[in-house]
Amino acid sequence: MSTTTSAVRSHAEAVQVSRMVDYLGLFILFFVLTGSYHIHGMLTMGDWDFWADWKDRRLWVTVYPIVMITFPAAVQAVIWERLRLPWGATVCILGILFGEWVNRYFNFWMWTYFPINFVFPTAAVHMAIFLDVVLMLSGSYLFTAVIGGLGWGLLLYPGNWPVVGPLHVPVEYNGMLMSIADIQGYHYVRTGTPEYIRMVEKGTLRTFGKDVAPVSAFFSGFMSILIYFMWHFVGRWFGNVRFVKRT
Amino acid sequence: MKARTDRVGRWSLVGALIALVAAVAYGPAALAHGEKSQAAFLRMRTIHWFDLSWSTDQLNVNDEMEIKGKFHVFEGWPEAVDPPEVSFLNIGIPGPTFIRKESYIGDKFVPRSARLEIGKTYTFRVVLKARRPGEWHVHPMINVEGGGPIIGPGKWVTVNGSMRDFKNPVTTLTGQTVDLETYNEGNIWFWHVLWYAIGVAWIAYFARNPIFIPRLLMVNAGRADELITPTDKKVGLLFGAATILLVIFGYSSTQSKYPVTIPLQAGVLRGITPIELPKPTVDVKVDEATYRVPGRAMKMKLTVTNRGDRPVQLCEFETASVRFMNPEVCEDETGYPEDLLAEEGLSVTGGAVAPGETKTLEVVASDAAWEVYRLSDIIYDPDSRFGGLFFFYDDAGNRQMVIVDAPLIPTFM
Repeated sequence: MSTTTSAVRSHAEAVQVSRMVDYLGLFILFFVLTGSYHIHGMLTMGDWDFWADWKDRRLWVTVYPIVMITFPAAVQAVIWERLRLPWGATVCILGILFGEWVNRYFNFWMWTYFPINFVFPTAAVHMAIFLDVVLMLSGSYLFTAVIGGLGWGLLLYPGNWPVVGPLHVPVEYNGMLMSIADIQGYHYVRTGTPEYIRMVEKGTLRTFGKDVAPVSAFFSGFMSILIYFMWHFVGRWFGNVRFVKRT
Repeated sequence: MKARTDRVGRWSLVGALIALVAAVAYGPAALAHGEKSQAAFLRMRTIHWFDLSWSTDQLNVNDEMEIKGKFHVFEGWPEAVDPPEVSFLNIGIPGPTFIRKESYIGDKFVPRSARLEIGKTYTFRVVLKARRPGEWHVHPMINVEGGGPIIGPGKWVTVNGSMRDFKNPVTTLTGQTVDLETYNEGNIWFWHVLWYAIGVAWIAYFARNPIFIPRLLMVNAGRADELITPTDKKVGLLFGAATILLVIFGYSSTQSKYPVTIPLQAGVLRGITPIELPKPTVDVKVDEATYRVPGRAMKMKLTVTNRGDRPVQLCEFETASVRFMNPEVCEDETGYPEDLLAEEGLSVTGGAVAPGETKTLEVVASDAAWEVYRLSDIIYDPDSRFGGLFFFYDDAGNRQMVIVDAPLIPTFM
């Protein structure tokens, strides 16, 4: 067999090889995204995702969607454009969640003994499915950026509230009002993470009273729209085939 | 040529094996906190810890221990470190081997950062509850924003028992008592597994059909639109609607189950009250201070004036948590960590200073701790000064604390 002759001899064999390529490709894509998106996530929103006492109604709500819409936008640009597949955002989020859970379970719990209820990652599958469904139904990147990006930002807080809400129940602790998450942060000593490093709301959106989360979510959604555009073009550049064509 | 290639291959294999053995055969546990690697000036000229006590060094899981003492915020605070306006009383332990139940500066509970004043002295108290069995190095610590961690003396504490027995109950303002070790864990797993399964189902729906090659060929042939069928769109609509409905359901059911919630609490605590130490009646002027590198000894010539009505003697020199004791005057009875205690490390020539007398004392503070704790590195700092506390005792056992902050000259002969 030479390099110019086909490796398959029948249609059935071609289908079999094609499926093998599918499974291998999906496996590689998943783990490449697990690694690269995870690094990106940890470098940009790390502590907000690590600790329950960082998951506040202002900065977590703002930062997570803005920095995390990047890879979904880029991967959507590649696999929708080249393959018409509408799960670019979902595969990114499943990848990072897989990596995060491995990290939280083996490193944070089994190695350093932080309880899981203090170090669980942010749930984002609902945001990713929303982004993918909007792209599939509209077929428009502009529509996906504007509606999908906005929804991506708006959905973080309500989607995570079932997990985070119980940790915001108030406690009177040694004469001070603290949430359960605050007490977790106080009890489970992080020698290298003093309290002042924690970047959470400190009453600076006072004009909006207690409605801080919706304001933050809208701002986050708006910024996510812009970031979606930027990373869409990163994805297009990354997914171009000029080099292959030239060779 | 082949022989040469074989030789290279063989030696490469040997090299790889040596690297592997070196990497895995020696793996000491990191049990302490790198306190020795902190710059000497940071430990000598920021926070001075004294009168420390650890209630025990042996306890079982769920037992509590207390660390208490005083710290002085040094007047000669270095320029390279931000002032301690946002400071956090922390504890240096290897992860949550203990939980921090309580911590106080003065009588104020400080779960958050607080403002400290340079030149003031504070009392502190930390209550820890043993969680994980093992032998742990436990330090008090002050973290300063813009300055980093300033670690105090560490003591080895042994915890016995099993972590499985550890309980951490907390009662909420809604009257529910929960164990923080496991609270909400089932809920976290449930929602994460549910969402993950939905995400996998979304991809699996499209992965039933070919994913890469046939789709790429179709798109390249200009038939991309055929790849998303009306059924696909209906399924997409279903997933989208189910996602939104599930989010709404999850949010509203949580709201009804936990109607009373509060935002995370934050903000710097003010109004931390320092203690007032009696003004010393002993004045100390450092005429000369040299550090003799080969002898691991600091030599000081002090002019001491006693304005009190009783004779005083120099008992102790403390710097960077190392205590140099003059055994002719006093000894430690607090069980201070041995590696930080130079029991016979202070020799004083000149004896007692009588009331009204001004006298020159020649003081030598020598111990291997200078080297072990890397304090001798002070001579390589860009601002070669040392700081510390002198403790004088009178004949009635009254103690006076005098702060010292002076230039340091190294000698190499």
